[in-house]
Amino acid sequence: MRGTSAGGGDTSSALTVLMSISGRVPVLAPASRDPNRSSAVSLRGLTRFHERRPTVVGVNLDVDPGEATFLRGPNGAGKSTLLRLIATAIHPTFGGGLVCGRDLIFERSGIRPLVELLGHRGRWYDDLTAAENLRFVCSLYDIPTAGIDAALERVGLGSSSGIRVRDHSEGMRKRLSLARVLIRRPELLLMDEPYAGLDDGGKDLVDALIREAANRGSTVILAGHERREGLAGRTVTMERGAIVTSEVGP
Amino acid sequence: MTLFPAARAVAIKDLTVEIRARRAVGAAAPFVGTVLVSFGLALGPGRTLLHQVAPGVLWLSVLFASVLTVRHGWAAEMEDDAVEAFVLAGMDDASVFLGKAAALTIELLALEIFTVLLTSLLFDRSFLGQPLLLLAALILGTIGLSVVGSLFGLVASSPRAGDGSLPLLLLPLASPVLLAGVQATGYAIAGQPGRAGPWLGLLSAFDLTFLAVGIVVFEHLLEER
Repeated sequence: MRGTSAGGGDTSSALTVLMSISGRVPVLAPASRDPNRSSAVSLRGLTRFHERRPTVVGVNLDVDPGEATFLRGPNGAGKSTLLRLIATAIHPTFGGGLVCGRDLIFERSGIRPLVELLGHRGRWYDDLTAAENLRFVCSLYDIPTAGIDAALERVGLGSSSGIRVRDHSEGMRKRLSLARVLIRRPELLLMDEPYAGLDDGGKDLVDALIREAANRGSTVILAGHERREGLAGRTVTMERGAIVTSEVGP
Repeated sequence: MTLFPAARAVAIKDLTVEIRARRAVGAAAPFVGTVLVSFGLALGPGRTLLHQVAPGVLWLSVLFASVLTVRHGWAAEMEDDAVEAFVLAGMDDASVFLGKAAALTIELLALEIFTVLLTSLLFDRSFLGQPLLLLAALILGTIGLSVVGSLFGLVASSPRAGDGSLPLLLLPLASPVLLAGVQATGYAIAGQPGRAGPWLGLLSAFDLTFLAVGIVVFEHLLEER
């Protein structure tokens, strides 16, 4: 994995944004010209403005298939926004790239079945039970429902699968999201502060899922403040929307 | 998943949520009762006048109640950002639109059975002149309200939209449904199917137009919600 902001530091990142606005640099990286087609994630100059304020600035990032990457940075650094951009939950303002070999701008519907975003919000229906919610997920992704009971058992919700999600605690909701990861087995797993709200058992479960994903060749990008040993092969640091360092090793 | 199986899954999910929580029809039914009683009190005891206005009061009640039903239907999608699951699944967004419109149609039709019975009771007006014609007017009008409601319910549920945006969007756009629904229902009650035909045609045209518009633009609305 290689990661930099376009031009490096904050000043040049801001310059890149200004140049992008004025049209002096290409804002899209056409897939056919990109040398990193084999990367799981290959971003070029990715920038996102939210209410006229840049939240992700000129990010260049390459993540190899099967690699686990830890994305860290202070609150408001742009980690969550970057994950949401990669997951195609939101559109970039400028820049582009490839995710799972598909163009982030023009092949968004091709990326989505391959990616799972475990974000701050679970995307659950409060008035459905855990099992009903997962059955609906299976229908959305057109995948068999046979694994639902086993997934709920694995995440510790086997005995509460018939309880409405409205009555779940924050930790139980997070565990339900982990069950969705188990059922979907995505090619690219994006986890935004996955340990938040979980007890020690839940945190160990997250670690186990990351290891299992890596073992089957899936790529994992994990954003947060809590770095667990032996999971990520590389650490990328973001500040004020830009990538400032990329370090190999634990 | 192809268009119609996905739409069916969305509709079944919406109906399951409604049966479980009774938030949409459950909130709209008492509202309809209150509206009908209020109109009755405002119009006075004159039987002839009540008979004349019964179709209009029926459709106004349904129209106002549809705002509540649409709002509650979309609130369930927004609570835990469940609506984003549709986007991230990479499914055909038209299936979400069709599924939500189908569920809303069923919910509103259930509400209309209650509304017709209550209007008949309070306004001492039989609706059984031409029952099949009445059914056609109710179904076509309800499809129109559901299609427009599903489309603009998403827009109005956006965090950027204000609280009052749904009625401001929905009520003017649904005015052809109100007009044609009242006329077709009036002629159905009066047993004049020939005169109801053009109004049923208008309802059908409205339904088809907004179905087509929804299928085309819903993806954009969902992405930019």
